[in-house]
Amino acid sequence: MATPQFLSSFQYSDSLTVVAISFCTAIVCEAISWLLIYRTNSYKSLKSSIDKAAKKLETMKTDQNPSKLSTKKSKTKKIDRVETSLKESSRDLSLFKFKSGAVVALVLIVVFGFLNSLFEGKVVAKLPFKPIGIVMKMSHRGLKGDDSTDCSMVFLYFLCSISIRTNLQKFLGFSPPRGAAGAGLFPMPDPKTN
Amino acid sequence: MKETKSVKLNAQQHQQHENGHFSPFKLAKLLDPDASWDKDQLGDVLHWIRQVVALLCGLLWGAIPVVGGIWIFIFLAISTSIIYGYYAMILKIDEEEFGGHAALLQEGLFASITLFLLAWVLVYSLAHF
Repeated sequence: MATPQFLSSFQYSDSLTVVAISFCTAIVCEAISWLLIYRTNSYKSLKSSIDKAAKKLETMKTDQNPSKLSTKKSKTKKIDRVETSLKESSRDLSLFKFKSGAVVALVLIVVFGFLNSLFEGKVVAKLPFKPIGIVMKMSHRGLKGDDSTDCSMVFLYFLCSISIRTNLQKFLGFSPPRGAAGAGLFPMPDPKTN
Repeated sequence: MKETKSVKLNAQQHQQHENGHFSPFKLAKLLDPDASWDKDQLGDVLHWIRQVVALLCGLLWGAIPVVGGIWIFIFLAISTSIIYGYYAMILKIDEEEFGGHAALLQEGLFASITLFLLAWVLVYSLAHF
């Protein structure tokens, strides 16, 4: 491992390598997504239509006038119509994202395999708390010894990939529109993939 | 006569345009209880506040260093109360308009927990071993 000189004085300098690699991976993944999705016109129009429909739905739901009982029925019908169109657009959007999601997932798996071969059985960091349950399984994966505060690469990579990716997407404005909540395909690296 | 009128109108429109142009985002708005909030804008602001709190807490916890799972919950309590205090006391918004307390408090929660853990673990491992 070509770690710079000043870093090798740290016992756990490997953790910085993991963070740096996952930061680069996140940028590469966003670049791929941008190439395949975000710069296309069909994505832009789909996103703006979802935003518009979500806003319309919100205003329709908030200014319900109780005095106009006769128009209530037509209003609910209208709301239903907007809701179904919103759902359709969200579905289109997630289908659209599937394409790049597959490529991004492939990149993440390759990087994960690469990191795994680099840091297999190595303690890359020390946890300041005693993990339990599934966290313990993840943080102690592939490590020998009973010290539960030893942290393997898997847990650190998991933390990095989620925090860096989510914030990078938010920063670049690539996060899925709120109107389509839950419909977005969120390609998280599967820590169990080996 | 007609021309001067149209020029005047034009100037007015121009001014309006400029005013509109400068309004989108100002720091003063962050502390203004009278400002009107868009759901997306508020969500973004809450998200970034959470991330900043997470990063600061993580760095601080790691630098002191504090040890033990209880500090995760202390971080959560601090971060949640900051968010709650911000939108309920400083902005004084009606949470029902934005989907209730749960939606507002959830904004950026998971990302902030992972960011906090990352900062805490990194600083702790690098600075104290």
